[in-house]
Amino acid sequence: MEKNYIIAGFGGQGVLFAGKILANAFMLCGKNVTWYPCYGAEMRGGTVNCEIVVSDEEVSSVHKQDADCVIALNQLSFDRFISKIKKAGHIICNSSLIKEEKTRNDINYTFFPMTDAASGIGNYKPANMVALGVLSNIEKILSVDILKKAIDIVLPDDRKKLAGFNIEAILSGYENLLPAC
Amino acid sequence: MEETKQLLKGNYAIAQAAINAGCECYFGYPITPQTEIGEYLSEKMYELNRGYVCAESELAAINMVIGAVSTGAKAMTSSSSCAVALMQEALSYACSDELPVVLVNVMRAGPGLGYIYPAQGDYNQTVYGGGNGDYKLTVLAPSTVQECIDLTYKAFYLAQKYRNPTVLLADGLLGQMMEPAVFGEYPYPEIDNSSWALTGAKGRAGRRIRSLAPDENEQIIHVEKLFEKYEIIANETTEWEEFGCEDADVILVAFGSMTRNIKAAMRVLRKEGLKVGVFRPITLSPFPDKRLNELADKCEKFIVVEMNMGQMIRDVKLAVNGKSSVDLINRPVGQWLSVEEITDGVKKIVLEKIHAGV
Repeated sequence: MEKNYIIAGFGGQGVLFAGKILANAFMLCGKNVTWYPCYGAEMRGGTVNCEIVVSDEEVSSVHKQDADCVIALNQLSFDRFISKIKKAGHIICNSSLIKEEKTRNDINYTFFPMTDAASGIGNYKPANMVALGVLSNIEKILSVDILKKAIDIVLPDDRKKLAGFNIEAILSGYENLLPAC
Repeated sequence: MEETKQLLKGNYAIAQAAINAGCECYFGYPITPQTEIGEYLSEKMYELNRGYVCAESELAAINMVIGAVSTGAKAMTSSSSCAVALMQEALSYACSDELPVVLVNVMRAGPGLGYIYPAQGDYNQTVYGGGNGDYKLTVLAPSTVQECIDLTYKAFYLAQKYRNPTVLLADGLLGQMMEPAVFGEYPYPEIDNSSWALTGAKGRAGRRIRSLAPDENEQIIHVEKLFEKYEIIANETTEWEEFGCEDADVILVAFGSMTRNIKAAMRVLRKEGLKVGVFRPITLSPFPDKRLNELADKCEKFIVVEMNMGQMIRDVKLAVNGKSSVDLINRPVGQWLSVEEITDGVKKIVLEKIHAGV
């Protein structure tokens, strides 16, 4: 069983960082996993994305044409990836920056005001971590504990002091997500 | 204790593996998609008090490697397609001089400057060479981040053991992706190079490393000696991976990271009842032609899947030597052929053959 996730947003929203944490978390779950970034002129602005493929077998293609799950942190990413989601797939949207419009009726939607939730705990920056918290609520295998361990792996030593704040952001996504309507 | 797996980016994995392999000098010039190799080494080599030079050009970098390895040091450079093109003259010299140069090529799109998207268009450049004269590089093609490590170790070992320039031929996809892997320890013995390295002639006669051969007979002897060595390399180091080839009606052949996709395509097609095998050369030079030729005794259809306009397919055709049909599924650049595109392509080719009565 193979499943792929795309995380997308503005450069600076921590898309690649969130992807690394997600990939490490799946690795800690004992899964085969790959992380593949878009790389190129995105560093100079525009949308950034990365793709995480998780599998019980060897991961096949690391960069696929469609996705099981997309986490969109801004409107541009929503617009770009909505058509790439498989039927019965899932899009998780940062509704602080994305209009709550269901333009397709064959996929599942989760809207959560990630940037607002992050601002609520003191800083708008960890909206990416709020997104992982929301995902953790949806994907039972990704426990908050596993995400905590993944943060510890990814954060360099001189940034370890920020772990607590990131975990707080994950919890605010995890705990405040309402059951799907 | 068993080393725990780390999520590693291919480029960083190659760079750290080079350090573990004992690389004493790195010379390079940045180019996407392999710049992280130089970036990582610029810090680590300094910490380890080893040599690092950000060269003024790729031409300078490869010639600095030639200088360093001539003294017996382990040295490498890394680059990408259009910049590796600049190094071809030096690779021809290094083959003639029998120098253990290690080169990492993280392929991007071409021809010309191309772009930074991953591609596999340097098969011909690497295996057949863009340099002059009769020479062969040793070429290894990883398909996972773990193999980026293992084959970097092997590249240093083979380069030293056979005194032949060795290329790790990766691609932008492998260089940029992350995957769990372990470094382990450099698993090969150190090779004694005291019989040839230029270490100063104190207490012994001077040595020369040169490729100039002004005497015709000398040149013949030299090239024949090189080719005797290539024969030994072929006998001792040819490496491949195969799955389900023994009973296969169709064998898919790919190298590098495309192997991941053909393995998945094989699983899908086997479930659908088509007996598909997978064959992957790990050494592109020497090419595992003998094994492919044996397999062609039983299997009538080979399909090569590659991200170029069809380069390795020529070697597969030479290997099966007319015994079997050899078709191509390809795209020149960009998004890797998906598992569905490969399975569809295989079915189309197989059906066409049935209709044509082949």
